[in-house]
Amino acid sequence: MAGPGRVRQSRPSATASQPAATDPASSLARALREQEEGLLNCVHCGFCLPACPTYRRLGDEADSPRGRLHLMRAVVEGRLEPGAEAYQRHIGRCLGCRACEPVCPSGVAYGHLLELARRVGNEAKPPSLVTRIILATFGSRWAWRPLLAGARLLRALGLPALAARRPRSGANARGPRLALAMLAASARVRSLPESPPDEVPSPTTPTTNAGRTAADSPSPTDGPDNRPTVAILTGCVQAGLFGRVNAATRRVLEANGYRVVPVGAQGCCGALHAHAGELDSARELARRNVAAFEAAGADYLAMNASGCGAAMREYGSLFSQDDPDAPRAAALAERVRDLSELLVVRGPRPGGSIHLAATSDAPCHLLHAQGVADAPERVLRAIPGLRLLPLQGASECCGGAGIYGLTQPELGGMIGGDKVRNILESGAAAVVTGNPGCMMQIGAGLRLAGSSVVVLHPAELLDESYRRGGLYDGQGR
Amino acid sequence: MSASPGSVAEIQALIRSAAAAGTPLIPVGRRSWPGAGGWAPKEGRALDTTPLKRIRHYEPADLTITADAGIGLDELDAGLAENGQWLPIDSPGAGSGTLGAAAATGGFGPLRQRYGATRDNVLGLEVVTGDGRLLRLGGRVVKNVAGYDLVRVFVGSRGSLGVITRVSMRLFPRPEEDRTLIYRVRAERALAMATALRRGHLPVAAVVLGSGGMEGGGGRAATLAARILGGGRGAREITGRVVAALGADPDEALRDEASRRFHDRHRQWEDDARLMVRLRALPDRLDEVVAIAQPVAAAVAGEIAADARNGVVRVKTPAAPAGRDEVVAALAGARGRVEALGGSLALDDAAGELGRRVGWVGRGGGAGGIVRRIKSLFDPHGVLAPRCPE
Amino acid sequence: MIQQSLVRELRAICGSYGVLDDPDALLVYESDALTAYRHRPAAVVLPRTTRETRESVAAIARHGLPIVPRGAGTGLSGGAVALNDAIVVGTARMNRILGIDAPNRRAVLQPGVINAELSVAARRHGLYYAPDPSSQTTCTIGGNVAENSGGPHCLKYGVTSRYVTGLEVVLPDGEVIRIGGQGRDAPGYDLVGLFVGSEGCFGIATEIEVSLLPVPESVRTLLAIFDRIEDAGRAVSEIMSAGMLPAAMEIIDGATIRAVEDSVFAAGYPTDAEAALVIEFDGLEAGLKGDAERARRRCLATGAREVRTAQDEAERAALWKGRKKAFGAMGRIAPDLLVQDATVPRTALPSVLRGISRISARHDLVVANVFHAGDGNLHPNILFDRRDAEELERVERASKEIMRLCVDAGGTITGEHGVGLDKKHHMTLIYGPDELNAMWGIRRVFDPGETMNPGKVLPDETQPVAAAVPA
Repeated sequence: MAGPGRVRQSRPSATASQPAATDPASSLARALREQEEGLLNCVHCGFCLPACPTYRRLGDEADSPRGRLHLMRAVVEGRLEPGAEAYQRHIGRCLGCRACEPVCPSGVAYGHLLELARRVGNEAKPPSLVTRIILATFGSRWAWRPLLAGARLLRALGLPALAARRPRSGANARGPRLALAMLAASARVRSLPESPPDEVPSPTTPTTNAGRTAADSPSPTDGPDNRPTVAILTGCVQAGLFGRVNAATRRVLEANGYRVVPVGAQGCCGALHAHAGELDSARELARRNVAAFEAAGADYLAMNASGCGAAMREYGSLFSQDDPDAPRAAALAERVRDLSELLVVRGPRPGGSIHLAATSDAPCHLLHAQGVADAPERVLRAIPGLRLLPLQGASECCGGAGIYGLTQPELGGMIGGDKVRNILESGAAAVVTGNPGCMMQIGAGLRLAGSSVVVLHPAELLDESYRRGGLYDGQGR
Repeated sequence: MSASPGSVAEIQALIRSAAAAGTPLIPVGRRSWPGAGGWAPKEGRALDTTPLKRIRHYEPADLTITADAGIGLDELDAGLAENGQWLPIDSPGAGSGTLGAAAATGGFGPLRQRYGATRDNVLGLEVVTGDGRLLRLGGRVVKNVAGYDLVRVFVGSRGSLGVITRVSMRLFPRPEEDRTLIYRVRAERALAMATALRRGHLPVAAVVLGSGGMEGGGGRAATLAARILGGGRGAREITGRVVAALGADPDEALRDEASRRFHDRHRQWEDDARLMVRLRALPDRLDEVVAIAQPVAAAVAGEIAADARNGVVRVKTPAAPAGRDEVVAALAGARGRVEALGGSLALDDAAGELGRRVGWVGRGGGAGGIVRRIKSLFDPHGVLAPRCPE
Repeated sequence: MIQQSLVRELRAICGSYGVLDDPDALLVYESDALTAYRHRPAAVVLPRTTRETRESVAAIARHGLPIVPRGAGTGLSGGAVALNDAIVVGTARMNRILGIDAPNRRAVLQPGVINAELSVAARRHGLYYAPDPSSQTTCTIGGNVAENSGGPHCLKYGVTSRYVTGLEVVLPDGEVIRIGGQGRDAPGYDLVGLFVGSEGCFGIATEIEVSLLPVPESVRTLLAIFDRIEDAGRAVSEIMSAGMLPAAMEIIDGATIRAVEDSVFAAGYPTDAEAALVIEFDGLEAGLKGDAERARRRCLATGAREVRTAQDEAERAALWKGRKKAFGAMGRIAPDLLVQDATVPRTALPSVLRGISRISARHDLVVANVFHAGDGNLHPNILFDRRDAEELERVERASKEIMRLCVDAGGTITGEHGVGLDKKHHMTLIYGPDELNAMWGIRRVFDPGETMNPGKVLPDETQPVAAAVPA
């Protein structure tokens, strides 16, 4: 079409030479200017407003995606300093849940622009000490491994659970108390809150896969050589606090006809860093993972933490086009799948009965960032006896959003509080969600509310069903 | 004494001189429309709008028409029918009334749920205000939000703000079929049937109740008439569902011309009234409003008819009631009870002395200051109907 | 700069999250969805209740500052832009549905309720809210009231004005009045009808009563593809004059089709077509099949290349997709967009469309048309880049010429977006001094001090010197 091309040509060059990068404002401008076309895609229609959890709570357009894009554009246009309090506050308040992306008619790559905007913001004004410590910790295995080991020990002693149970001792205690509650919430659920089959609330969606038998499903022994191979990202938090989920992931994949291959020297995916705008650190972590997973040579990369999945799926765009690692990163990203997607392709096989009233919460980075909508529920329908109850606001962020609960305690509390209320109103005894951050945020919220509703990863639940169904019998566990 | 100006310029001149002389004018069409209580001045010179009666613009494919105010709705309808179109105005006084009066009274009839009230279908107006200015408001397109919607103020202002001289209306395709199912049953049963139709969300175009049995007692049957408009298959389908929802075959099923005549008669029911009392409330209070209307009907020896879809209950009496104390008490009591439901009770002009004693329309909406300022904006000298309900 | 004493007063009324006065953050409020007009407000107030609104408005009035009401800021006429350092009173936090009265098919809401969310809530009762502006997933009912919004399905069902039956309004001096309510049938002037479409100049509606309709039992959707846009326009006229009343008839032109198909929202429209016509019928299943078949034959007779019929809800959504995503997809082909909103008599569509393409060619501009064809409500979208000053001038000239073309064809300058800032200078194309005077007068009836959304709707130069307003 001739017209639009002409319009584009009339645009002043977006990448005209810029002043040296030492001036923070110009550095900001440069980073965002590279994305100016992306910013310009926003026609200011406002369709994103209702999708944004912070706008819904505060009603302030500066805390909406359109508003934040407007602030970014104001920086590019030289009308706003990235160190300005308004910029820092409103860019900082974004959860990064990306619920705005699917509703954007112009297809603005909001998540990507946010990362750049955060980087620019950080250059103008370094992030808080807490944020920097957290990011530095996850930047190095040598730092997070001992830290998380210590956390496991603390969790084992039961102190966090105790602290979360104590009545509120004042608003100041919220941060540390939340952190402890999150730690407590990461613990394995010792016994599932099952009810006798006739007391499980009536189903709104019937379990569908349950009637199938193992004979209908692909057998795990179609010949070892033909099985698709999978490499699992074991992650940092996941490896440190959710080792059981990684183990369950391996077992359920094997049970569904995948061959899990080991990956040497993998590390944190870099999602937390990218979201916080620490793009250089994120790239370093990504380079290491690209090398590690290339060496593993699997058909698919299985993700059981949707934050990591979203980050790895976007490894391609993390690097600039002239970076020699960009094509490799993009090729690797093509092979990334959420665990639920891999399972749904194979059925998944039904397991043994679990008489549990459960509800499913969609992690933002699965639903909005990866566009995976119904796979997690289809996985759960493979569990006979499980009743899936609808959850109001299931597609809205839980307020976890990486380290949001720590950096924005008040707003995070509001958003998390609504999630907890919706879960309690659903009548479920368990909530299932496939991201460690969400599990800890929701679990902490439930604990602080004095609820006994448990939080489970879908892999854990399917794993238990398979154990009960005897699918592992004769396979070493 | 009346004036019959032959052009808009003459109307302007007439209004200006009336303003100078301080003599009120009452714009009239064919005088078929029942007056709303208390709007018309007690005395004044009638300004006859019927000499202006040309169709100014009619492009059938646009489904709009622009015509002078004095044209009769019956004359218009004949032309529209040739093109398979119609103007679904069925408020009391329609039919033989003029287009201008339809807009000036701005009422609605039983078809409102289906087609909207008159005010919803007026696209534009030409009006001469009380200070002789000619305003062309709105337009002849179906969607128009250019400027403040002054059309809405003039529609239903009953000549108190200006003399409407030209009207643009939205038209509708004439329904292929016009059917009416008539049930003759006791009043309570008729009300129960109306409720069943309302709850069933059935696309019935109108539901009216009447014909002498609504007053209760006396053993006379009330009539429930359900009107169905639409294409052949659709109309048959709705008919079947109505019969199923009511659990009984109709006593009579009218088609096309017979159906139209039935509703014309229902509309004309008011024509011989010497006193009209209109009660309105939300449609689900219809039973209660009928119960409130019954003592009024008894006091004035009147009859009751109801528009079930719109929650309107009317009491009419062909004999002029005097302002007897018991009638005044019945009306005041009924007004108190219907207002307690959030509704209203209004009397028309013919109520005369009664209207003055009971009050024409009841309590106002609390926007009296705005109403007064609008009145003096368009009729600064008070040439036109001096009162308006606040 | 806003006085700190007023800020403190407003904070005391609306709470700390309810008052925004950081000038940097206020940049976000400098425009609505029509970004050509930008003025930063002095502050933003976000009340939660009628009481907070009344007290805020009264406080601002005491300080003599102008007020601009704002809903979701999705308007396309610059109506929510704060001129003269006005204070924005936003309804974003007044977003509760106060009640749905299913037996009487009505609902009472706060103004910040989102249009589509009302329909979602009403659906449980088998009801929905009929006016459906294309921004319905985000625009608010309060904004709809201010603009008298339309939408694709207004062809059959009529615009907002028909559905608003009662209002609670905070007047510019802080007084609260109730007009209409429990239906809109009380005797007296139709103040509700007057308020609807007043573009925030008469006051702020804090409670809105609307009527709802039963959800249509069945829907039938067709998509006709044309090689000439005039043929699509003719098909619309013929369908209407044949006595059919579709729920919606929408045209998407070739330039728009290609923009949509280039985007992630590709709807599968053929990119070499010059027009796509979406036709929708709703009602009882029994009547729909015949209507759809008649419409299909009319389209083929007027030159449609093909006609597709949706068989289920998913296909229906797919046929609509190109129409619904059109506005946003424009963002992919040009950074800026001037959306026009003229309405012409339906029969004038073919000639007006030809005229628009002549005008755009003469000014070397790309104009993409997406519109409510059944209503004759055109949305020519002029694509441009505001960083190019010379192009901007051509846009202005073309815009005015298109407007005049539509008015000359018997139309009007805005069908549903409102006048706002954008079209106030075009008001003289359709109204003379007496009409404009009357509008100034009615505005002063509600707002004698002209503090509510000043500088909108009426061209400043037409302002009568002597106040035409009575005490």
